[in-house]
Amino acid sequence: MQIETALLVGILFACATWLILQRNFVRILFGFIVLSNAANLLVLSMSGRPDGKVAPIVDGSGVPMVDPLPQALILTAIVIGFGVTAYLVTLLYRLFLDQKTTNAREMFEEEDSKS
Amino acid sequence: MNWAVVPFLLPLITGVVSLFVLKTEDKRAVNIVSAVAQLFLALWLVAQNVQGHAFVLTSGGWAAQVGIALVADLLASIMLVLSTFTALACVLFSCVETPARVEHPLRLPLIQFMIAGINLAFLTGDLFNLFVAFEIMLIASYALLTLEADDWDIKQAYPYLAINLFGSTLFICAAGLAYGLFGTLNFAGMIQKSAELQGDPRVVLLALLLLIVFGTKAGLFPLYYWLPNSYPILPSPLAGLYSGMLTKVGVYVLVRMFGTVLPHDLHGVHTFIAWLAGFTMVIAVVGAISRNFVRGILSFHILSQIGFMALAIGLFTPLSIAACIFYIMHHIIVKASLFLIGGVAVVLNRTDDLNKMGHLWRATPWVGIVFLIQALSLAGIPPLSGFWGKYLIIVEGLREGAYVLIAASIVASVLTMFSMVKIWFGAFWSESEGVVVRTDDKRWKPMVWIIGGMCAVSLGIGFGAEGVLQLATQAAEGVLDQAGYVQLVLGAGGKGGS
Repeated sequence: MQIETALLVGILFACATWLILQRNFVRILFGFIVLSNAANLLVLSMSGRPDGKVAPIVDGSGVPMVDPLPQALILTAIVIGFGVTAYLVTLLYRLFLDQKTTNAREMFEEEDSKS
Repeated sequence: MNWAVVPFLLPLITGVVSLFVLKTEDKRAVNIVSAVAQLFLALWLVAQNVQGHAFVLTSGGWAAQVGIALVADLLASIMLVLSTFTALACVLFSCVETPARVEHPLRLPLIQFMIAGINLAFLTGDLFNLFVAFEIMLIASYALLTLEADDWDIKQAYPYLAINLFGSTLFICAAGLAYGLFGTLNFAGMIQKSAELQGDPRVVLLALLLLIVFGTKAGLFPLYYWLPNSYPILPSPLAGLYSGMLTKVGVYVLVRMFGTVLPHDLHGVHTFIAWLAGFTMVIAVVGAISRNFVRGILSFHILSQIGFMALAIGLFTPLSIAACIFYIMHHIIVKASLFLIGGVAVVLNRTDDLNKMGHLWRATPWVGIVFLIQALSLAGIPPLSGFWGKYLIIVEGLREGAYVLIAASIVASVLTMFSMVKIWFGAFWSESEGVVVRTDDKRWKPMVWIIGGMCAVSLGIGFGAEGVLQLATQAAEGVLDQAGYVQLVLGAGGKGGS
């Protein structure tokens, strides 16, 4: 279970990096969404192996539970990530309206030729 | 009432109230009163800490390893004084600079939210809570950056957002990995656990990951590109606040992490920081020389000065940490006031392009004098405040045998002087034709009082260097005393403690 999660996190990080380095706004946006999910999955994997453990609901039966703390951390991280993603969408939309392009290279082209 | 949480709650409540309840005029009054109250509270916290009373809040009554702890020790309190002082100056400047009827209704609330985030970052004793504090601060800063930006400016917000999103994601990963390694995210718990993990390479890797995260926030080489292009698009009062505080939060966290939380024996990570700092100082100051407008030059100087602070962290002796804290105190005030002086010059000349500025020395000598004092202080001319910080760092560097880095820092200081002279000639002494100085604009006089006040504080640091250094030394001892920190935080008790 741990190896598979580690591989999945690695693949997600690789995809996210590739997407963020693209020039198209929509791909960049998807890149950041995948990136934050990869990070959340990494934190979740810190709970350790879930085999033979139950959900962290205390009922006094003494069955081993998974560590609830990483789940609490992810919950916070998801909410924050959601807010920041919403901001990123708005910023990219504003850039599209102002610059009439959805291509990051075209956006900075004028400036590069000036300096 | 536990006072450790108030420096976070006060700006938060002020922000919420001024966002939803108050009209523009009342909003300004409430914000200024709140900023003054925050400053006095922070000063009181420092006074208490000097006498040995540190404040620890275990939220919800849970013991530190179980719940979130807030710790107002001496260094945190000093940083609170600096953040609230800068915030007060910038709120006042903002009220003078922008007439009430055209002020954006979100500006003051967002400034308060940003201060709340910054103060929480100083107070927190928990790695994940630190992440939350960073996010509060950063989200407010994204919003302020784009709030009044025009079509051209808004482009520069994208690299700022992208690099900070990347940094935040790495921060979550680092927090997760730290939990996997230590089994706790509380600083005190991490100190205890890392004693058991002596010589474990994973601790060194975690330290490097944290260095990348906070180095990005602080603007260390090679991850500084986002800063010098995004800061110049800010209105001057906000630029003063950003330049004074945001990168220094990164430096503070580096001091806290490497001084207090992580083990002191890290197999060359400190030397690595020192070399990064050397590159930062020199490359950034060369960037400053290449720019031809006031805010652009000053933005690169932030980075160059960050290099000095990081070099002090990299040397990692008790005196160099004290020098770093002294340098932070000097730098925040001088840097913020230089940006505000730039703001006065913009009001008078209607531009901050050095080719189109001039006549300021003839028209407004007081602005010139204040600029000269602060610029010479930044370059490190004795007996101004910048000299003492640089002197201590150089002395410690020579004692540690880091001759190349010390040579780099001296070169950076000379080039700092050179680029300050460039502003001086361009804006103050230039007698070029066709430049109008708008002394009929009544806003500049109250502005001079504000920058004059900041200049007086910075002169005070320079001439009272003995006392300030004692304070910094006491703070540095507190930071490096890991056993004392554990005792302070875990001694606060609470439910569920072991």
